[in-house]
Amino acid sequence: MERYLPRAMTLTAISRIGETVRDDPVATASLNLAPVPCCICETDDAEPVGVGEDFEYQTSPDTFLAMRCRSCGLVYLSPRPAVADLDRIYPEHYHAFQFTAEHYGFVYQVRRRLEARRVLSWCRHLDDDARIIDVGCGDGFHLGLLREFGRPTWQLEGVDNSRRAVDTATRSGLRVHQGSVESLDLPPASYDMALLIQTIEHVGDPPAVLAAVRRLLKPGGRVVIVTDNTDSLDFKLFKGRHWGGYHFPRHWNLFNARTLGALARKVDLEVESLTTAMSPVNWVYSIRNTLVDLGFPLWLSNRFSLESPVSLAVFTGFDLLHQLAGRGALLRAILRRPAAAAQ
Amino acid sequence: MQAMSHAAKKPVAIIGAGLAGLTAAAQLRRNGVPFVLFEAGPKIAGLATTFNDGDGFSYDFGAHFITNRLAAAIGVSAECRTVRHYGETVFAGDRTYSYPLGLMGVPRFVLSAIAARASAAAERRPPQSAAEWFRRRYGKAMADEVAIPLIEAWSGARADELSPAVGASIPGSIGNTVLLKLAGRLTRRAVACGYSREMPETPNVWHVYPHGGVGLLCQRLAAGLDDAIRLDSPVEVIITDGGRAVAVRAGGREQEVSAVVSTAPCHLMAKLVQGSDALQPLARFRYRPMVFVNMRFTGRGLLPDVVTWTPGKQFPFFRLTETPLSMPWLAPEGKTLITADIGCAVGDEIWTMPEEQLGELCVEHLQPLIRDARQRYLGCRVLRTTIAYPVFLREYEADRQRFERSTGVEGLYSVGRNGEFAHIFMEDVFWRTTGKMRQLMQGLSA
Repeated sequence: MERYLPRAMTLTAISRIGETVRDDPVATASLNLAPVPCCICETDDAEPVGVGEDFEYQTSPDTFLAMRCRSCGLVYLSPRPAVADLDRIYPEHYHAFQFTAEHYGFVYQVRRRLEARRVLSWCRHLDDDARIIDVGCGDGFHLGLLREFGRPTWQLEGVDNSRRAVDTATRSGLRVHQGSVESLDLPPASYDMALLIQTIEHVGDPPAVLAAVRRLLKPGGRVVIVTDNTDSLDFKLFKGRHWGGYHFPRHWNLFNARTLGALARKVDLEVESLTTAMSPVNWVYSIRNTLVDLGFPLWLSNRFSLESPVSLAVFTGFDLLHQLAGRGALLRAILRRPAAAAQ
Repeated sequence: MQAMSHAAKKPVAIIGAGLAGLTAAAQLRRNGVPFVLFEAGPKIAGLATTFNDGDGFSYDFGAHFITNRLAAAIGVSAECRTVRHYGETVFAGDRTYSYPLGLMGVPRFVLSAIAARASAAAERRPPQSAAEWFRRRYGKAMADEVAIPLIEAWSGARADELSPAVGASIPGSIGNTVLLKLAGRLTRRAVACGYSREMPETPNVWHVYPHGGVGLLCQRLAAGLDDAIRLDSPVEVIITDGGRAVAVRAGGREQEVSAVVSTAPCHLMAKLVQGSDALQPLARFRYRPMVFVNMRFTGRGLLPDVVTWTPGKQFPFFRLTETPLSMPWLAPEGKTLITADIGCAVGDEIWTMPEEQLGELCVEHLQPLIRDARQRYLGCRVLRTTIAYPVFLREYEADRQRFERSTGVEGLYSVGRNGEFAHIFMEDVFWRTTGKMRQLMQGLSA
């Protein structure tokens, strides 16, 4: 078998492509995987569109399937890991748990400014006493931006499942609840704005999460969802295996404008706007995944990551062109709880 | 999902605990649909079984190639090894040609293929037989020297008696085949080509093989279903009433059912059905019995590639497979395994030939390909099956097409390679069965 292995491959990389490295128990233990139906249609009439592995973190030796619902077009991971395996698929060094200036330097600074502009544009209309909740807040990156650049009177809260992320956010003085938004006992009809920034793709039951968020919103309150867009060129080119947006096996549901609209309607939220936004990340990671998968040397694949400003800059420009054509790599929906809605 | 709505209903009867039956069972369980799975034999897995002998050799019923996509769908990918190489050659005349590129380099074949394509374009009448289909598609030279002799040895029928639908079982376009082969070279993976009809073939789908053999797929599907699996329980009768399957009888006991999912060969299923003559035409459908002679040799790489097709009339076999070239773990180091596929009829000379004699016959005919085959030969083990491949005869083609759409009995679903009477592969069995189970569940909730 040795003759087939590219020289640059490490043992971890071997386990990643489904080989058997029995002396590494963590990398070779299979996840508990179970098939699931489409969360919007509640049927399992779907076809496989992508087959891949955990190219980024190599948390298991499993191969994963991205299925596309034949009825609504939702792309979803099935079979998918059991909730009990979440700790395994989100390792300690997962980027959303430690997106800091020390780790990411220049990229952190640029992203901070860009994201601050975006977040503020959604919140600009809010009153001084507005209550804002960031669902899936990770280490509190966006809450931090609102605290720094927003109005000082805004009441900011976050929710995240990860103990580690919540600890980091809390240490920086943010008010963050640990748990899932469906199970936490948060005050209903109390928030003016909820943010789900690159969160909805991570959750097991998006309709349940969004319904829970809707309950938290005041009538007329808004929720902003930002998520990967499957109606984009990067998806079309890389969907068979290497698309960065799959983030195997951590992105469980992936949307386009149609399916995100259907999700909103399912939980009785009005679509105020549904547009795309520019992002270089899926381009960069699609290329990285391809290089890693084909055994290219690390010095090359490492040129394509959140830590490489050059590739991020190049693909920012590239995706900007797609964004101008309405096909940016991210989807952004602003949904509103109907003003006269029942509780 | 629909768990509660089905809970109070009669169970679905599934006949056969092979890949198809267990795929159906697992899906019904996930959806909360009650079922009873009747397996005639003492264990699960049917044809999807691997036999291991004491000397470190493993044999399947024919060489089984599954894909990473199927392994992922069933959730066994982590227990599978990547297959690094797969290739086919054709031994024609007195030399081997790689498939398809090597054959494309033979001027005689190319010119005749071009001429055939040119005249086929002007031909309005669809091909009437497999022979005509091959001649139009590949040209007379390649059809007569390679494709038709192979299809005749494989099916046991003359190519002009076979339906042109046989052609649909040949891998897609040459262009796609070449692309997939190149992708396989680049990625050093045995990219699957001609092993999936239901889902697209892409460079991202390649062959894998489970540790311990293909039985793992069935074990995984069967996990947690013990309470509903009845071993040693052949179904004796499928009872219909008013054109609908309503009950089955097994071990003399009748069980009312909401639907029946059969994996039995369809001509046998036709005999099980009582109270409807809708399935009578299926009794004529013919399967080709096959003998697989698994020969052990010293050395490895004795054949030019994993699969060698032998269309020459002098050979008793039509295909040779040296599986360890793809899957080194199927034979001990320094040794290899070559499987010869011989089509036959139940009770004929080949079918009744003792194991050792079959081995001798094959070794003798291997000489043109492996000069020192006899010196390397270590013995053989023979597997026989009466139902290796469906034979698409023209005489029942209209009935076959009708059966492809429906069994003709409401609530009776025929799944799996034998049940569907289709030349489909393991991954196809999985996706097709899941599709039919969705239909079944829709029917139940309607």
